[in-house]
Amino acid sequence: MTTMLAELDRARDTALDLSGWGRRFSFYQPRNFAFWGYLLLVAIGFLVFVSTLARRYDAYGQAIGLAVTSFAIYAALFWWFTQHIDHYAKLPAKLMVVAFVWGGFAATGAMAANANDAILALYAKTFGQVWALNWGAGLAAPFTEEWAKGSGLLLLIAMAPRQVRTAFDGFILGAFIGLGFQIIEDITYAMTSAGTQFGANQIGASIGTIILRMVSGVAAHILYSAIFCAGLVYLLGRPAEPRKIGRGLLLIAIPMLLHGTWDSLGAIAGPSALKLIGLLIAAIVVALAILVRVYQSTVQRERDFVRDVMAPEQARDVITAAELDAMAGNRKARKAYQKAGGKRSERKRARYVLNAGYALADELAAARGAETDRVRFARSEVARIRAGIPSRW
Amino acid sequence: MPDPDTAVSPAGATPRFEPDERWVPADERWLGLDRRTIRPTLAVFALAILMSVVLPVIDATVPYHDIVKAGDVLQLEGDVTFVPEAGWGITSGLRAGHAPLSGDYPATATVEDGAMKLTLRTGQFHGDARQLLDQIETTSEALNRGRGVRLTGAPTTVVTEQGKLGASVRVTGPHTAGVIAAFVFGTRGVEAVATGPSDAGAESTATVLRMIDSISQTGEGKR
Repeated sequence: MTTMLAELDRARDTALDLSGWGRRFSFYQPRNFAFWGYLLLVAIGFLVFVSTLARRYDAYGQAIGLAVTSFAIYAALFWWFTQHIDHYAKLPAKLMVVAFVWGGFAATGAMAANANDAILALYAKTFGQVWALNWGAGLAAPFTEEWAKGSGLLLLIAMAPRQVRTAFDGFILGAFIGLGFQIIEDITYAMTSAGTQFGANQIGASIGTIILRMVSGVAAHILYSAIFCAGLVYLLGRPAEPRKIGRGLLLIAIPMLLHGTWDSLGAIAGPSALKLIGLLIAAIVVALAILVRVYQSTVQRERDFVRDVMAPEQARDVITAAELDAMAGNRKARKAYQKAGGKRSERKRARYVLNAGYALADELAAARGAETDRVRFARSEVARIRAGIPSRW
Repeated sequence: MPDPDTAVSPAGATPRFEPDERWVPADERWLGLDRRTIRPTLAVFALAILMSVVLPVIDATVPYHDIVKAGDVLQLEGDVTFVPEAGWGITSGLRAGHAPLSGDYPATATVEDGAMKLTLRTGQFHGDARQLLDQIETTSEALNRGRGVRLTGAPTTVVTEQGKLGASVRVTGPHTAGVIAAFVFGTRGVEAVATGPSDAGAESTATVLRMIDSISQTGEGKR
């Protein structure tokens, strides 16, 4: 028994070491060259964006106000959603903010925007304006924007090598890089739309763009970058994710292909609006199906970490085997565990026990598996909720 | 279920020491920096330079060679057309009959000849030509904030070859002069901005005015 417990404790230590779960992240790292590179490129992008906003604010203030408010709410909803789907070895929130800021400012203003303009102009000069309008965006953005966003992950890995350890970490950080890019690009698009009626009827001119970008955004930059960055982690290899070059290259190519297809849908569909709508829906469905598949394949390692971290708790009877399976399982497993409770009150309690279990896992990770007051308290919370005793706090 | 407070716990488990996140191993330092962070950062810098410097420089060195031939007509969104002057260069915009696969012509077109430049822009607008000119003036003032070109003088009426009444006003700026003309075809507004050197000759001015006079909307005459 003792030997088995010791083995489980060792497995927990290994999982915590490998996953980086619970490690703190310091943004300010003056001896880290990537920190200075990040700071420089973000500062350039930020200045470009703010100067554009300031220059146009007097003319398109209403549309800018509407776009910034709408997309801020959109970003908050997305943040909530990622917290909702990520039950496992969570990354520090600060790191997600750093990823978001890279996507919003460095990848746009300091990199992709300049390259897009140049490539589109070169296409027009080389192949003619009609060709450039048909295929230019689809053959520029996948290369410029996906690499501008994805390159941020290289810096993030250099800035947080102890935290970014798995393809799922790349998936989550990529999603936040994509979200930042999406939000800033959407605000820029809304500003452009505001001017399409010579500055009159700004809200009417931009609201359609804002709604369309919000609806299509889920299957756009957020999705592309999540897949791309998961692929980048496979390509580079990390301590908790062995290098898989083929899978990495495939996951990098897929979002580029999706992006290129999306940007060329107008040309592929031709003048038929019905065909365009059909293709838009098909592109979104295909993209989401791929996203779910990549999520499922990358998240498994994180679930294994949860199992390894919580297995000693199960061996010590802090949680049951069913609870361990639910915690390290997917949504279906958690639902099945809750439903097994029978009565509504029992199902509710089962959910609370799982949440307390996840809180205990986070505390164990933060303590690097050691016994601390916070760990002991989190453990007592699991027992309290299971016993149905009201909280004293 | 035993009481977790009294349950067996990892005996004597203490946090395993991990160095501070900013700590750099002595054998990985180079000029005070963590040498392992240099290569990925240089790779990102190289990409940024390629995107923000190399590509724009290549673009700037490649000239446009799309020259207007006699009989060419440029078309914009909303079936708006105009006849550019033969010999001028098309820097953006499409010829009528050469729509992209989506069937939608772009909302802007620009032709240039040396320092002379004419840009047409179309969009939805509810009002008459004078109101459109006022709107253009308001937006331009807000965007320029007193810098760049300024609208000067009182608006005058212009009439296109199609007989469409429009409004125009002169613009001046540092070393530049020109004219802005506005037309409204139904709910389709058209803005034409012509600029060039302030000492441009009468011939250049006449050429620009000829192009502005050629602005029309397909089917407008039937309405």
